[in-house]
Amino acid sequence: MSASAAPAPAEAPGAAAPAGASRLAPITVTHPEKVDLGAIRLFRAPPWVLRLTIEGDRSYTRVKVVRAAPLSYPRRYISLLDARDEEICMIEDLAQVGPELRAVLCEELDRRYLTAAIERVIAVRNEFGTSYWEVETNRGRREFVIQNVAENARWLGDQRLLLIDVDGNRFEVPDTGRLDRRSLAFVEQVL
Amino acid sequence: MPFVEALPAEVSQRVAELVPAGEDILVQVAADMAGPTRFGTTWLVLTGQRLLLVGADGDGSVVQAPLERISQARAEVLVGGGRLEIEQRGAGAVQLYYSASLVPKFGEVAEGINQLVRGEPLSLPAELELSRCPRCGRILPEKGGICPACARRADTLKRLLSYVWPYRMRALLLLAVTLGAALVGLVPPYLLKTIIDRVLSPRVAAPAGGGFGLLALLVGGMLGVNVLTWAAEVLRRWLNTWVGFRAVEELRLRLFSSLQFLPLRFYDRRKVGALISRMTNDSDLVEIFLLFDLPFVFSNSLMICGIVGLMFYMNVQLALLVLVPVPPIVIGSTLIWGRLQGYWRRWSARWSRLSSHLNESITGIRVIKAFAQEERESGRFERRNRAVRDVSVSAERSWLVFFMVTNFFMSFGSFLVWYFGGRQLVHGRLGLGELMAFNYYLMMLYRPLKWFGDFYSFMVRAFAGAERIFEVIDARPEPFADPAARPAPRLAGHVRFRNLSFGYDPGKMVLRDIDLEVQPGEMIGLVGRSGVGKSTLVSLVCRFYDAGRGTLELDGQDIRTIRLEDLRRQIGLVAQQSFLFNDTIAANIRYGRPDASFDDVLRAARAANAHEFIVQKPDGYDMVVGEGGSKLSAGEKQRIAIARAILHDPRILILDEATSSLDTATERRIQEAIRRLVQGRTTFAIAHRLSTLRSASRLVVLEGGRIAEVGTHAELLARRGIFYHLVRTQRMTTAALAEPQPEAMPAS
Repeated sequence: MSASAAPAPAEAPGAAAPAGASRLAPITVTHPEKVDLGAIRLFRAPPWVLRLTIEGDRSYTRVKVVRAAPLSYPRRYISLLDARDEEICMIEDLAQVGPELRAVLCEELDRRYLTAAIERVIAVRNEFGTSYWEVETNRGRREFVIQNVAENARWLGDQRLLLIDVDGNRFEVPDTGRLDRRSLAFVEQVL
Repeated sequence: MPFVEALPAEVSQRVAELVPAGEDILVQVAADMAGPTRFGTTWLVLTGQRLLLVGADGDGSVVQAPLERISQARAEVLVGGGRLEIEQRGAGAVQLYYSASLVPKFGEVAEGINQLVRGEPLSLPAELELSRCPRCGRILPEKGGICPACARRADTLKRLLSYVWPYRMRALLLLAVTLGAALVGLVPPYLLKTIIDRVLSPRVAAPAGGGFGLLALLVGGMLGVNVLTWAAEVLRRWLNTWVGFRAVEELRLRLFSSLQFLPLRFYDRRKVGALISRMTNDSDLVEIFLLFDLPFVFSNSLMICGIVGLMFYMNVQLALLVLVPVPPIVIGSTLIWGRLQGYWRRWSARWSRLSSHLNESITGIRVIKAFAQEERESGRFERRNRAVRDVSVSAERSWLVFFMVTNFFMSFGSFLVWYFGGRQLVHGRLGLGELMAFNYYLMMLYRPLKWFGDFYSFMVRAFAGAERIFEVIDARPEPFADPAARPAPRLAGHVRFRNLSFGYDPGKMVLRDIDLEVQPGEMIGLVGRSGVGKSTLVSLVCRFYDAGRGTLELDGQDIRTIRLEDLRRQIGLVAQQSFLFNDTIAANIRYGRPDASFDDVLRAARAANAHEFIVQKPDGYDMVVGEGGSKLSAGEKQRIAIARAILHDPRILILDEATSSLDTATERRIQEAIRRLVQGRTTFAIAHRLSTLRSASRLVVLEGGRIAEVGTHAELLARRGIFYHLVRTQRMTTAALAEPQPEAMPAS
C-alpha cells in the first residue's frame, strides 16, 4: 500500500515544516494555575493527613496523589488533587522534583496503587476457561483467579504484562525476560 | 454470621487478653494485607466498647481505639484495593489496608462502625457473597457464583434430564434404538468371518449346493443388518431431534422468562453481552450435548464393550495385541490435547477481537470518515486478521500432527494383527475369516475411543453452559406473585419517605435519611448536581430497588406490602432517552395497555402533541419505528413516550430529564404535553434546566444524598440557598451564550 496523500511523514521534527494542517496549533489551558514546583511542600501532619502548602500562597489538607496514566507513564504526570477532587497542580516528571518531595510522592503512590509485581510464578492451573494463579510478589505470596484471559491480561509492552483478577486486584510482570524459566513457562502456557 | 470469622489460635489468645470478659464481639473480620504495601493478615475486632486491629503474622502488633473516641469510619477505594480509615478525636487515625477482593466486606464494616458511633444498633447484612468455594476452597470466578471445579456434575445432568422427562417414553425408545443399533453394528464382521470361513475358504470341502445356500443366507443376513442399521439410524435421528429440540426449547423459554422477572439489581452487575451469550451460546452448547453427545455416550460405550468382548471371545492373544496401541494413543491425546486447547482458546480470543473491530468500525464509520482514518483502520484490521491466520495455521498444524500420530498408532495395531494373525493363520490356528473380522473390529474400535477423548471436553463445556443457565433460572425473581401482598387497584398517590437510606453497593450510601411527604396530585421537582441521587430516589418509588434502611409508604402502606403488579401498573415513566420497541407507532403507544382502542391511541397522541408529526409519516400510526426507535428524531420519540405514559394513565408519574436534549421549540411543545399529563397525578420530575420545573408544586434540593432544601420555586429563591445559586449559575451560563432564552429567571 502506498502512503496517502498526506505530507511526507519522514520530515525531521524541528526542520522547517511546510505551513499547513500537519502542524498542531497550541492549545491554551487556563486552569489549574501554573504552580512553581519549587514552592510545593508536601508533608504529613498529623501522620495520617497529607497536606500540601504552596509556599507563601495557600495550603490544602487531605491531598490525593494520583497518576494520570498509571500504565504508560507511572513516573510522570502525577496529579495532586484536593479534598474535593479538584486538581491543584500536576507534576510532569518525578525526576523534576527534589528528593524530599519525591519520597513523599512515591510513598503516597505506593499506597494508592496496590499493584503487586510478580517475581515468581509458583503454579498456574487452567481449568474450565478460568486460570488459577499462585505467585510470589514484591508484596508477598498471593493466590488469584483470572477469568477471560483475553480481556484481563494486557501487554503493556513487549515484555511487560498486567493481570487483573476477578476482584479487580492488579498484578504486574514488569519484565517477562527477567522471570525464571519455570515462571515464564507458566505465563506462556496461559497467554 | 459473615462478619464474625473464626480466629486462628494465637490471634484468638491475643484478643482474649485485650477484650474484657463479658464484652461481646460484634465484628471480627480479617483483612488480607499487613500494612500499606505487604500482603498478610490483619484482624479487625469490634465490640460495643472498642476497636482492635491485630496483626496475625507473628509480630502480634495491636492498635486499640476506644469506641467513644471514634468520630467516623470511612472506606476509601484505592486502585486494586482499599483502605479503612477510622478517625479518632484527640488521637491519630487508624488505617487498615485490604485488597480489592475485600472492598465490599469492609464497606459494610465501615458502615457498621458508623452505626455504633451514632449510637444505633449494629445492623449488617445477613450474608456476604462468597469469594471462595465452600467445598474446595478455590477462589470463585464470580463472587457468589459457581465453582467450576465443584459444580455438581451429577446434579446438573439430572436437571438437564428433567427437561427430557416430559418426553420420557420417546426418550426411552430413543435409548433402546441407539443401543439396538450399536448391537446390530457388531454383527456384519461376524457374518463376514462366517462367509470366509464357511463358504469361501478353500480348505473346507464345500458340500455340493449347500455352500450357495449358506452364502445366500449370510449375504441376506448382511443385507438385513444393513437395512436394520439404516432404519435404526433414521428412527434414532428423528427421535433425537424431536426430544432434544423440545427440551432445549423449554430450557430457553425458562431462561427468558427468568430474565424478565429478575430484579434490576441483577442487571446492574452484569454485562448485557454476557447475558445474551447465556441465551445463545450456552443454550447451543446444551443443545449439542443433548442432541449429539448424550446418545452417543450410551452407544459408544456399548460398542467398545461389545467389540472388546467379541475379540477376546474369538482370540485372546490377538485381542491383547490389539489393545497394545491403546495406552499410547490415550496418553498422546491427553498430551497434545492441552496444547490444542491452548490454540483454540487463543483462536477464539483473536477471532472475537477481529469481529469486535469489524463491528466497531462499521458502527463508527462516520467518525472514521470524518477523521479520515480509513487507512489506519484497514491497517489495524490487517494486523488482527493476520493474527487470526497465524493461530489458525498453528492450531491446524498441531491438529494434523495429532491426527497423523493417532492414525499411525492405530494402523500399528492392524500391523500387529496382520503379522501375528498371519502367523497363526499359517500355523493353522486361526481362520482367514477370523483374521478379516478382527481387522474389521479393530477399525470399529478406535473410532469410539477417539470420540471419548473429545467427549470429555465437550461435556465440561456443555455443563458449564448449563450451569450458567441454571444460575439465572435459580436467581431470585422480583416478588411478583407474593400471596401476602395487598392488592392496590387504584392508588391515590400519597407518597411518604420515612428516614430512608439506600446504596447500590454496600457501604456506599447514595441516599441518606430522606424524609418527605408528597400529597396526591402534587408535582415534586427534584434538583441537584448530577450523581446526587435524584434518579435513585425515583427508582425507589418504582420499587426497582428496596430501601436499605427506613421505609417508603404509598397511601400509608409500606411499598413492600403492595402487590408489585398493581404498583407498576400505576406508575408511568418518561426518561431522558425513551426506549421504543421495534414495532409500529400505535403498538408502542399501546404498550402499557394493549387493549386500548385506536381512538384512545389517537387521543393520547394528540394530548402528547405527537399526532401532527405522526400523520405526516407515510405510514402514519402504522410506521415501524426501527430498533430502539432509530427512525424517529429524539423529540418525536419523546412525544411517543409521553403518549404511551398518557395512555397508561398512571397515578404516579416520573419524568426523568424528559425534556433535556431537545431544541426550545420542540421542548415547548413537549412541556405543553407534559402539563396535560401531570394533571391530577402525583409527579416526580427531574430536570437540569431548572426553569422547566417552574410549574412544580414544590422543589426538593438534594445535596450529598440528603434533602437540603424544600419549598416552592419562589420560596427557594428567596431563601438564597443552594437552589438560588444553581439558578444564578444557570442564568449566567445562559446569558454568556448570548442568546436570550425565554426561560430566563423571573424578575424578583
